[in-house]
Amino acid sequence: MIAVELRKLFRRPRTWATIAVLNALPVLVAVLLVLTDLAPRPGEGPPFLSAVLRNGALYPLAALAIVLPLFLPIAVAVVAGDSIAGEASAGTLRYLLARPAGRTRLLVAKLIAVLAFVLVTVLIVAGVGYVLGTTLFDAQPVTGTSVSGTSLTPADLGGRTLMAIGYVAVSMLGVAAFALFFSTLTDSPLGATMGALAVLVASSLLFTLDAASPIAPYLPTRYWLSFVDFFRDPIHWRDITRGIALQGVYVGVLLAAAWANFTTKDITS
Amino acid sequence: MAALVGVLVSLPALAGLLPASDASVSAPDLRAAVLASDTVGFSGFAESAGGLDLPVTDQLTSVADLFSDRTRMRVWWRGPIDHRVDVISAGGETGVHRDLMGSWAWEYERATATRTLNSALALPRPPDLLPSTLGRRLLSEATVAEVSRIGALRVAGRDALGLRLTPTEPASSVGRVDIWVDADTGLPLKVEVFGKGAALPALETRFLDFDPSAPDPSTTAFVAPPAAAIRGAPVTDVALEAGRRIRPVPLPPELAGLPRRVLTGVPPGIGLFGRGVTLLAVVPLPSRLAAGLRDALVQSPDAVVDEAGVRVSAGPVALMLLDPPGHGPYVLTGTVTLDALADAAAQLPELGGTP
Repeated sequence: MIAVELRKLFRRPRTWATIAVLNALPVLVAVLLVLTDLAPRPGEGPPFLSAVLRNGALYPLAALAIVLPLFLPIAVAVVAGDSIAGEASAGTLRYLLARPAGRTRLLVAKLIAVLAFVLVTVLIVAGVGYVLGTTLFDAQPVTGTSVSGTSLTPADLGGRTLMAIGYVAVSMLGVAAFALFFSTLTDSPLGATMGALAVLVASSLLFTLDAASPIAPYLPTRYWLSFVDFFRDPIHWRDITRGIALQGVYVGVLLAAAWANFTTKDITS
Repeated sequence: MAALVGVLVSLPALAGLLPASDASVSAPDLRAAVLASDTVGFSGFAESAGGLDLPVTDQLTSVADLFSDRTRMRVWWRGPIDHRVDVISAGGETGVHRDLMGSWAWEYERATATRTLNSALALPRPPDLLPSTLGRRLLSEATVAEVSRIGALRVAGRDALGLRLTPTEPASSVGRVDIWVDADTGLPLKVEVFGKGAALPALETRFLDFDPSAPDPSTTAFVAPPAAAIRGAPVTDVALEAGRRIRPVPLPPELAGLPRRVLTGVPPGIGLFGRGVTLLAVVPLPSRLAAGLRDALVQSPDAVVDEAGVRVSAGPVALMLLDPPGHGPYVLTGTVTLDALADAAAQLPELGGTP
């Protein structure tokens, strides 16, 4: 059933169209940077973007930072929100459940397909970013400079980049869990997607308010940008570990709720 | 399910409620331990939050941000002349590496390393807001009568002994300073500065992570990266530059009941009065500098404008600009009340006071 769901997801043109649109923004930003040679001022713009003109090898990280606040979560929410509610709205859910596989296996298969989409999407954004960075900008393949001003070997830089990509993927799991949970509550994929995005917009808004600082450590978007901490020297693990733990709690609780809801609800469509 | 979520959400709060072990250390002994702690090696992560919206000119926005924003700092401390403090932001980092002759400041987003040599007078920088540094500074001139014990607290997972500093000068705008001191090392772990009558701190700085072991020398050392732009600090900084341009004015030995103090390295035109956490600085300003400051002050909704000048306070910090006809402008600022500022202004020699 997992293989079936994976094939279904990645054979769907909509999936690749989503990934293509997601990469359009980093491509546009890279072209504009090359044409104008104007990097964002310090403190402005996505992380690493101001450093790209000095070292194009950092563009995969800048590309992730460009899509991380909005485009990437939208893509993940669309796919995850469609997973159960999409079958229900198309009238195919009852036929899927007619097979002896059971609801839990179907939910697990849908979950794994969403996880695969998250990972593939993040890798493609980083890969496209690398190609852009090394072809359009001056890249420094020998060594790099950490955010703290120390030199990083190619092995260091590569290892930290892989860890950052993994961290961004983990950060998106919370979005996927929200959308999957909402997808079990409604027959409308749009409703599930919008529900997950509403949570994220609310979280991002609350994070900017000093009055909301007591609940800030629990906001799902609180630690998203902590992938930058992999490039400090020494690595600043504090927010990274908290980000992973927070996503773990959200994913665990929401998937448990999705399972409890999906295995007990009446399937009418 | 709801119970599970409730338990998970409340875990951090419950951990913070763990009782701290107090120790029978007197307030003067605890103060002495704090003052002796500058050679204790440690590393950690600290956060300061200030509510001091200081009205300032464009040259001093970094200082204003320091006291009004949330500043997150990683610190590796081997001693007063060997430490590193990184201010981290979402997309970058500014690190200060201190050594024997001065300090390097590394700005990632500008790819710039700036060398500053030691100076007697400098503007506040992020390392000054570390709980350990700020706590020592605030306690450095406290008298035995001004300090008292206030129990214990858990800070950064460690037992911290409470020490309260209550200034005795009537002119002081600081109500109290609460300092929570690591029981083992004497390092302040948390500092709260309260204005007179205020229930919430005007400035709070605390460690969130704390490791009481000395970091490796390679962590605090700094070697400028090959691609970095290397700069020297421009004529030390704006405070010294202002010091050179101010006119020398004979200031009285006492203002608003605060005695004048003599500090080496301070330009002669600048007068500093008071002691401990109650300080008043008097600076005769060049007219051009004063004009920008006046514009910033009058835009503050809390500004008091009268024949004495323009006065404004941000928490316990007060600032006054006066421009007596026929004389040059003065700025008075410090941790004193607005009434004390007006009293001090009336005692200035160019306004009829006695030099």
